Amino acid sequence: MPTEHIKVDALVVGGGIAGMQTALDLGDQGYQVALVERQSSIGGKMIDLSKVFPTLDCCSCITTPKMSATAHHDNINLLTYSEIESINRNGNGFTVQVTKKPRYVREDDCTGCRSCELVCPLEVSEDEHEFGRTSHRIVYVPFSTAVPQKAVVDIDNCIFCGKCIQACPSDAIDFTQQPEPVEIETRSIVLATGFETTPIDAKKEYGAGKLRNVISGMMMERLLAPTGPYGRVLRPSDGKMPASIAYVQCAGSRDQTLGVTYCSRVCCMYAIKQAMLLSGALPLAEITIYYMDIRTFGKGYEQFYQNAKAMGVEFLKGKVARITEDADQNPIVRVELIDEFGKTRVTERQHDLVVLSVGLLPGGNPQAKFGVPVGEDGFIQVPDYNVFPAVTSQPGIFVTGTALGPMDIVDSIMMAGAAASATASYLESSNGSGKEAQSQPERSVEYA
Amino acid sequence: MTTTMEAKKKRTEMLVEMRKEHRDTVQKAQELLKAQQSTRKVLERALTGGPHSVPQLAQAVNMPAHEVLWHVAGMKKYGIVAEAGTDESGDYYLYRLTKEAA
Repeated sequence: MPTEHIKVDALVVGGGIAGMQTALDLGDQGYQVALVERQSSIGGKMIDLSKVFPTLDCCSCITTPKMSATAHHDNINLLTYSEIESINRNGNGFTVQVTKKPRYVREDDCTGCRSCELVCPLEVSEDEHEFGRTSHRIVYVPFSTAVPQKAVVDIDNCIFCGKCIQACPSDAIDFTQQPEPVEIETRSIVLATGFETTPIDAKKEYGAGKLRNVISGMMMERLLAPTGPYGRVLRPSDGKMPASIAYVQCAGSRDQTLGVTYCSRVCCMYAIKQAMLLSGALPLAEITIYYMDIRTFGKGYEQFYQNAKAMGVEFLKGKVARITEDADQNPIVRVELIDEFGKTRVTERQHDLVVLSVGLLPGGNPQAKFGVPVGEDGFIQVPDYNVFPAVTSQPGIFVTGTALGPMDIVDSIMMAGAAASATASYLESSNGSGKEAQSQPERSVEYA
Repeated sequence: MTTTMEAKKKRTEMLVEMRKEHRDTVQKAQELLKAQQSTRKVLERALTGGPHSVPQLAQAVNMPAHEVLWHVAGMKKYGIVAEAGTDESGDYYLYRLTKEAA
């Protein structure tokens, strides 16, 4: 298998909003950038969200142009569906081995027309974006605004009937594809490895993921998105439009039993945002937020919270002890409520749907793969957070976005600017040679 | 003409080879396909009688409602069913077969 060689100034690991913005900021300054993303499309978690807080702007409308700009930038070399295998320091830079996973579809030929998908006879659960609430065919374009807009074959569920081959107008299906090695020579690395959320089954008190009408905040994002699994807010057990929806705050953050002692910083705001969106989607629904304390620290956030209260969202202070369900699969929330005088009362309340405001966990294992130290929380630790938040203890390796710790979209984008600036500064100082190549990325293919 | 025939033969040979190479996963996928096609047929037959909500379909085909919803979501995504208003209670959407599917 021939090895493709790419020589760049900076390698960005992760194609979410922070990774894309860092790549764009560096690319705009004339640096050659390679962006490696393990999924088949860039966009990260943000492309799955419905709207952003506190402006309620459409997430897709912000993310999609950035995805497109990243893919079409002259100075950015995009490698999707690719995994980093190893990183070795090489003089003042790094040699990075990457494996491009086979799509079983030739990227250069596929036009994203979905003719293959429409004739494919079998569907399996769509887990990557829709949490198994709907299906995708065995050959499929991941989602309508995926970048690149190319099909991928789920080879482990394929029956090789050949219908996709017959339907493809550009003869792009190729079942013989193999993993392709790529070697990237880079002078710097920016880690934008993002976050995962606390698993829905983490807390057995909250149903351990077995109660169908207890979902996570990310699942609710998909229900609220026009491109979501049902195109509506319906409860998963039977498709009912929920008339009573409850949010359980800190369901995976500030929780010693889960080893997640920190505040995830975004859960209060995304719960309030979703409550406001639900008030619009389901005007008759009663929405309750059970909280320990509401943290609205950003610009315009407190006003957003006050607006939600004014719209009729019920905020109840208390800690939810347990969630069970009745015979009709309605979740029953057992909660100790605290009134304004500090007096407590234990009660049980029935809802149609419960949303767990799950917390943020580090994405991947950056310590093992990139040799950067992580803190007790598992997020990347930098030696001087107050002065150089994007600079790790490893010379030439930088960090951005939620790889550093929980943060919202606004902060992630600001961190991307900081990481690009720190990387550019490093590139100008190291070797003293500035930009690697002013015109086109240097690429070659070596036939072993 | 000969070239087309040759290409077709080559493609068939490649697919046979692939099925051999992935024997275990192909067998599992074939079983899944058989079960899925049978379920979809039953659901489509129920829908030829008129629009149904998810609980109504679940009752008609004797299947858990959450499984019916999964199938309906997939069928809606691929243009086999479409929404047809809500039921009398206003709690559930009704689904009908699209013209193309009917």
